Amino acid sequence: MALTAEVVGMLAFTLLAFWGVASWALVRTMRQESRKVEILEHQDRMDTYSPRALEQLREWIEANPNDPLVDRAREQYNECVDALEETDRQFYDWSDDEIRSLERL
Amino acid sequence: MTSNDAKTARAEWGTRFGFLMAMIGAMVGAGNIWRFPYVMGENGGGAFVLAFLSLLFVLAVPGLMAEVALGRYSQKGVIGAFREVLGPGGLVGFGVVVLLVNVALMSYYSPLIGWTLYYAVHSMLFSFTASGFEPATFMNDFFANSALMIGLHTVVMGSIAAVLLLGIRRGVERLVVYAVPALVISLVIMTIRGLTLDGAAEGIAFTFGIQWEYLTYSDTWIAALGQALFSTGLGWGIALTVGSYLREYDDVPLGGGVFTAIGESSIGILAALAIFPVVFAVGLEPDAGAGLAFVSLVQVFPEIPLGGIVAILFFVGFFLATFTSGVIITEVGVTTLAEETRLSRNQTVLGLCGTIWLIGLPSAYSVDTLDYLDFVFGNWGLPLATLAIIGVIGWVMGPERLRLLAVNRNAGIFVGRWWNPVIKFVVPAVMLFIMGYSAYDSFGTPEMYGGVAVVVALPIIGYVVMSVTEQRERGGGGQSEPADVTGGDD
Repeated sequence: MALTAEVVGMLAFTLLAFWGVASWALVRTMRQESRKVEILEHQDRMDTYSPRALEQLREWIEANPNDPLVDRAREQYNECVDALEETDRQFYDWSDDEIRSLERL
Repeated sequence: MTSNDAKTARAEWGTRFGFLMAMIGAMVGAGNIWRFPYVMGENGGGAFVLAFLSLLFVLAVPGLMAEVALGRYSQKGVIGAFREVLGPGGLVGFGVVVLLVNVALMSYYSPLIGWTLYYAVHSMLFSFTASGFEPATFMNDFFANSALMIGLHTVVMGSIAAVLLLGIRRGVERLVVYAVPALVISLVIMTIRGLTLDGAAEGIAFTFGIQWEYLTYSDTWIAALGQALFSTGLGWGIALTVGSYLREYDDVPLGGGVFTAIGESSIGILAALAIFPVVFAVGLEPDAGAGLAFVSLVQVFPEIPLGGIVAILFFVGFFLATFTSGVIITEVGVTTLAEETRLSRNQTVLGLCGTIWLIGLPSAYSVDTLDYLDFVFGNWGLPLATLAIIGVIGWVMGPERLRLLAVNRNAGIFVGRWWNPVIKFVVPAVMLFIMGYSAYDSFGTPEMYGGVAVVVALPIIGYVVMSVTEQRERGGGGQSEPADVTGGDD
């Protein structure tokens, strides 16, 4: 029995959608891990949020000053700002201008 | 426990790979090997893949991100995580529900691991390729031998206890970093063998042929939904527990969400490629469950060149898949109870494994009991556990808080605000639908009454247990302290 083009196409799509995505995720996360290890060998801490994620965290803190978790959120925000200001290597793609514009909350 | 101070230092995964393999090892189980390929072939092949894949991305990936993130945020087992969000009091009992569901699940999963162990041993003795071997008779004799079943259940729980006694890094991590790749390699070799057989194309056509009309059938979507949620173990406390051992700078969403959900499903796809080409090559009808693994495939091995070796690869891989799941399902209870009681980790391992062994005896003794419990807990207990975990994240902690504080912190991918309504509305609604559908589908049967009993009794037990224990710990009186986090109305 010869396989139809439709079956072969579906097989290829399935392998790409599952094994392709899983392999991409595995390789990406392992590379990120290596990069984090490399950074932490050079310095004792590093940035914990991407620019977009830190921006959203700041917006939430400012919008929810009475939230029970706001102190923890502020602590995590300041921790990232301190790391960005006091270290020279970043994990996320921060520009110098972005780092200079940050302020502790 | 010798002292509370001894519990202050919490273990961590030694490597990123160890965490990832722990997630995959926990989620890949019997369902990936003996259920997924058949469900896929029976529900439109490629059409099912599309339905399944879309539900994985919509439900399982975000759901797993949430569960791992809660574990990472709280750095505690299931009860501790609930207390972290809800504050002390009876409602922490929902964590007890998750714990009890895991113990019940493990009580009937351990005998099933025993089946795979028995077949793995016989594959290594080349029993299946011996002349005059009758698969159906062999299986029926095995299932009728209660003493053997109980013996295997005992060996399995003893082995699980031995791994857990070694701890997170030296026990669990060391096992999964070898067992999961070994399972994948076994299936890949079996796939290559199967695809090189005459007639293998029929198996591929059965599994991957596209019947588009199946996308319009509700049964296809319900099957895909069940597979996407149950195969990934979403909301069973496993991802929460594994996530609680993450290190300071570890990512949650890429590894705990995308890789885990898609990676574990990939093993189901690989199982389909490994199994159906050989089944069709020798002219057998596809089957599901024990019939596929223990009868159909066993009939296949004598018919193909190097069948004895293929049998070893398959059954050893199958055993590893179930055993790693068993180890980590049991770890859910060990982590939680070691935190919540005065017992040391070793005492907890021995006590819990002994308890699971004891309550697993009826399932080991009778396959009918195992089937009954599988139906009741699969359709009611596990969705209840998922509702408890996702419910507490979605409606108490609030998905926005968790997203900002744990999901996107050190993350390998950015998770946007789209994630919040999925966790708050979509996943809980789907779990309620599954439970409602189960009630409708099995209305008036003993399974339905058992399921209703589980849904009613476990929360009550959990509430009472936590009300009493937490009150006692606070010195025997007073109101519950208010929760640190309330509302979740983001």
